[in-house]
Amino acid sequence: MSYFVFGFYALLLTASCLAAYFDKRTWFLTIFAFTLVSFVLGIVGGTSTLQTVTLLAGLLALAAMVSYAFREFLVAIASNNMAKELRTAPLTAAFGLFVIFTYAVAGIFAPWIAPHGEAEVISTAFAPPDDSMLLGADQLGRDIFSRIIYGTRNTVSLALSGTLMAFILGALAGLLAATTGGWFDQVLGRVSDVIMSIPSLIFALLMLSIFGGALATDTTSFALLFVFAMVTGLLVVIARAESNIMSWVIGLAVLVAAAAGFSTGMLILFNPSEVILIMVVGVIYAPRVFRLTRAVAGNVVVMDYIEAAKLRGEGKWYLIRREILPNSTAPLVAEFGLEFCFVFLLVAGLSFLGLGIQPPTADWGSMVRENATLISFGDITPLIPAAAIALLTVAVNFVVDWMLHRSSGLKEQ
Amino acid sequence: MVKSKDVLLEIRDLQIQGYSDEQWVDIIKGVDLTLHRGEVLGLIGESGAGKSTIGAAAMGYARDGTRISGGSIEFDGMELTTATEAERRSLRGSRIAYVAQSAAASFNPAHKIIDQHTEAPLQYRLKKRLEAQEDAIELYNRLRLPNPEEIGFRYPHQVSGGQLQRAMTAMAMSCRPDLIIFDEPTTALDVTTQIEVLAAIRDIVDQFNTAAIYITHDLAVVAQMADTIKVLLKGEEVEEAPTKEMLDNPKEDYTKSLWAVRSLKREQKSRPEGATPLISVKNVDAAYTGGVKVLDDVSFDIYEGMTVAVVGESGSGKSTTARVITGLLPPMEGEVLFKGEPFPPDYHNRSREQLRQCQMIYQMADTALNPKVKIAEIIGRPAQFYHGLKGGKLKNRVDELLDLIELEPSQYYNRYPPELSGGQKQRIGIARALAADPTFIICDEVTSALDQLVAEGILKLLNRLQKELNLAYMFITHDLATVRAIADEVVVMQHGKVVEQGPKEEMFTPPHHPYTDLLLSSVPEMDPDWLTTLLEERGVDNIGDAASARIDPEDSRISK
Amino acid sequence: MGDILGLIGKRLGLGLVILLVISAIIFFMVELLPGDIAQAVLGQGATDENLAALRREMGLDKPAIVRYFEWLGGAVTFDFGNSIVTGERVSVLIGERFRNTLFLATYAAAIAVPLAIILGIVVALLRNTVFDRVANVLTLTSISSPEFFLGYILILYFSVNWGMFPAIASLSQNMSLWDLLHRTFLPALTLVLVVTAHMMRMTRAAIINLMASPYIEMARLKGTPPWKVIVRHALPNAWAPIINVVALNLAYLITGVVLVEVVFVYPGIGQALVDNVSKRDFPVVQAACLIFAATFILLNLAADVGAILTNPRLRHPK
Repeated sequence: MSYFVFGFYALLLTASCLAAYFDKRTWFLTIFAFTLVSFVLGIVGGTSTLQTVTLLAGLLALAAMVSYAFREFLVAIASNNMAKELRTAPLTAAFGLFVIFTYAVAGIFAPWIAPHGEAEVISTAFAPPDDSMLLGADQLGRDIFSRIIYGTRNTVSLALSGTLMAFILGALAGLLAATTGGWFDQVLGRVSDVIMSIPSLIFALLMLSIFGGALATDTTSFALLFVFAMVTGLLVVIARAESNIMSWVIGLAVLVAAAAGFSTGMLILFNPSEVILIMVVGVIYAPRVFRLTRAVAGNVVVMDYIEAAKLRGEGKWYLIRREILPNSTAPLVAEFGLEFCFVFLLVAGLSFLGLGIQPPTADWGSMVRENATLISFGDITPLIPAAAIALLTVAVNFVVDWMLHRSSGLKEQ
Repeated sequence: MVKSKDVLLEIRDLQIQGYSDEQWVDIIKGVDLTLHRGEVLGLIGESGAGKSTIGAAAMGYARDGTRISGGSIEFDGMELTTATEAERRSLRGSRIAYVAQSAAASFNPAHKIIDQHTEAPLQYRLKKRLEAQEDAIELYNRLRLPNPEEIGFRYPHQVSGGQLQRAMTAMAMSCRPDLIIFDEPTTALDVTTQIEVLAAIRDIVDQFNTAAIYITHDLAVVAQMADTIKVLLKGEEVEEAPTKEMLDNPKEDYTKSLWAVRSLKREQKSRPEGATPLISVKNVDAAYTGGVKVLDDVSFDIYEGMTVAVVGESGSGKSTTARVITGLLPPMEGEVLFKGEPFPPDYHNRSREQLRQCQMIYQMADTALNPKVKIAEIIGRPAQFYHGLKGGKLKNRVDELLDLIELEPSQYYNRYPPELSGGQKQRIGIARALAADPTFIICDEVTSALDQLVAEGILKLLNRLQKELNLAYMFITHDLATVRAIADEVVVMQHGKVVEQGPKEEMFTPPHHPYTDLLLSSVPEMDPDWLTTLLEERGVDNIGDAASARIDPEDSRISK
Repeated sequence: MGDILGLIGKRLGLGLVILLVISAIIFFMVELLPGDIAQAVLGQGATDENLAALRREMGLDKPAIVRYFEWLGGAVTFDFGNSIVTGERVSVLIGERFRNTLFLATYAAAIAVPLAIILGIVVALLRNTVFDRVANVLTLTSISSPEFFLGYILILYFSVNWGMFPAIASLSQNMSLWDLLHRTFLPALTLVLVVTAHMMRMTRAAIINLMASPYIEMARLKGTPPWKVIVRHALPNAWAPIINVVALNLAYLITGVVLVEVVFVYPGIGQALVDNVSKRDFPVVQAACLIFAATFILLNLAADVGAILTNPRLRHPK
């Protein structure tokens, strides 16, 4: 029995007695249950397990404190309305916001934060950590810490673009299908049913096996981007132009120019293999967004105020923009967060399998794979990028959970 | 009838709180209630009065999100607020039973009706299964359910709403409780079905001398059922008196306002000589895609500046007729004429000018106004859309419209619909229709979701607007009091057919078509003896669904 | 009863159509490649004669639509042609692996399904308590973690640090069942963690939704004891949502299995798929994709049929 163990139990027991004395039932139950669990853990795992438990509890407390402080910070700087909302946010949501904020900073300022270059070889393979390398070197002698920082930028921006693509296409199609109805709605519904009945990872693997190799060129990716932009834009033109031929001609002309501009822009930002990955993600997730948007908009479309607007003679674009969208933003924003999580995990999984973001670009999924051998020596370094993935996903999920809870809470009233 | 004077239920200073916006707010603010054995107490009040909450509290039950925060509830010598959950539970079903508003949702879809009926007697070991089933059939018989031997062995979704409501009453009776709480048991039913259920409930409560709390918002209904009536407003008692006294001589103004609509009357206008009708529905047949015909050879005319009330029960096709006129549902046969010119059957093919002429006001103001759009835009959009008004002119027009519907413009201009009360929302809906400068407005049950006093205000407003702007109304309703208050002409519909039409005064005086007769006679009146008299006149088997099933809409015979 | 059979028949028909469409997508996607498979096999340096010979041998000279029906006909009898890298029969390459994958998925499902449903119901009944909140945070965390993260953590602790289970799930002939279960425990556990979390959350939502029904309140107001409210009134109506949840999550399992097999070097069909995507061995990729998609569709189909069969309104038509 070390002093640590003695102190550990003394602290827990004092805390539970205090809680019981001051009649804090929940606190007492929590702390005392924790004490009992620690007894078992202590007997099975010995002092070291108890130390791990203490460490975990400390981390949890730290996270709680950071979240609390961050929430108060946000309340202090936010406008009145926002502040009221934020004050009711649970700590988990505040934690999520804090993590997202940190990742954003790390991603945007990566070159200034990272001590070494993204693909700079500075040491021998698997060199242990030292003063200049916080986490040691990877299998080629590059600084792992710097690569994790750069990875924030690469992995997240790619997943974000993929989600955006899926979202714009899916949401537009869903809104249009809900307002139009009839065969247009039916056809889109059936198409999305078919795409959704292939498991996402499997479909991604299939598409990458085709577009991943020799086809990952500037020409192919430009063509894919262009087609994608045309399809998306066409939906806007359908909604705006209705049956006016002149608007169709103008709309299509603007559309071609916009699509070309968009495709060129994307190719400046991403290399062809990344563009293909984004497109694959977009194609896989757009039907899922479509289905949800269709359902959300479907609930709005049956309202009498939509009927009133239709009978007034309003066009589809007005219906979508002024009547349906304002009533669907809350669920759509939450859905965007959820889809981002799915996309992010899919991209990370593909990279882990060696089929996603290609070296030498730093990326979390591939870093896990490249350094996985270290785990058999009990080294946790390869788990850090994996943990980075998990942390961001958890954070987004926490925030989404809060938003969903809020919008469902409003419904109950 | 002599009723023993033992006190069965005594509620003192009851306070109940509800959880909303992260805090507890009072919803029942100190209500007292005394109920003797065999007595029927009517609890009446408008939406939000807390009557349902009190009903649940009488069983020692607080719904999710509410809590009993003070006062005492004593049932036959047992204090329910301090009793344990097990003690309270042992009363429910055996000594206090509950009949819910929606029988269709309150029966478990997975079990047969009779198995749900016998659950409580078996649970309390009062009867063996077979005895309990025999007793159920006996109760079904007394409640005049068709096929009492067999109906219990069906599943809830295989039985109609009115029958299900009676089966639920039978279920409440299964342990011969001392007290039954009826929570708006007939509100969701059509008038002709309602009367059947009312008669059955009243008989059985009488036969077993059961005490009851009858909760409703309809004073005429409660007058038939209750010995005493208690009026509630926003969680507080307004007054309590024996039924007869309450009807003849109410003390409080609020109580009088509960039958405000019934006292509203207006001059009947007659058709202008030799004019073309503004709207003319000609031999219209209609069906929803793939469905059966819901409208069968419907024809009627609406003249400028007049109000035509379309009356009928749910499923009679009155709302479908409105959809045909507005062009949402193009008819299979027949046509709609506007000032003698055919209206394109599909609204997509109508010009803006044609769309502008015909506006609509909806039943549920909640779903008729976009909650995320400011009042100024809701009202301003039609003016902008049809008349191209912008900037200052648009603002002036919106102000004018708000004035017209008796709302102060500066106060409402920048607000959103969820911030308004039901009556104010309905007024905004009217203003939106007026903004188009129409000649014809379809009012689809515009007052049925509103409390009586508010409804009266809306009807008065509509009357005034009609006079000022020479509007024609098609007024869809199931409520004959409203028809009396506002209509010039009446069209009665049943099963998609027009059974009778004509000027209002003629329609309300015999002779009638048998269906009109049934409909008129089924509306409860402010007379405690109305139901008794009616049953004597018509006979127990000649009311409700049974009577309605015997009527052939084609029947042109006019009975006395 | 006619109604219900009609509904099920319609649903099965729809499933079959979707399966056909998907097989077409899987087949014709490869046709998008510039040149064809023969070109891909022989590479840029191939002579025209070689290419022509290979095309004839592989039947590539026939029109695509004919080849599709030949391929589909073969697929029905589990004959997917030959690998273009090794020349072996695809069915031999993936047959054994398919069985291994099925074993792993069943292993995980056998633990996860009962565990998740029971926990989900418990959490739903304890809604808004501390227990519920902790469960919420834990399940969210588990859902958010990539399968390889969970897998490597388990390897680090259970195998490297504590040496309780092997890190690599290699299989051999003549293993005893116990040995097999022991070796494949970690990959199964990884799957269990992810799937249980998903399933628990969905079960919780379904049960909470159900408990808000008026007939549940009616049962309470009839004095029915709490356990009986759940067993007699909630459960018979809960089957449809629960079946749905289970099927949906078994579908998650399918995706998860690919990553887990790679982490634990488990000889399953998922690993074969990943290997052959990098090798561009299209017949194998097509076969594996078709098998995965077909399993997924069949599961969804089973869920829908189950939901129809347990719906009292459909079982006892008017």
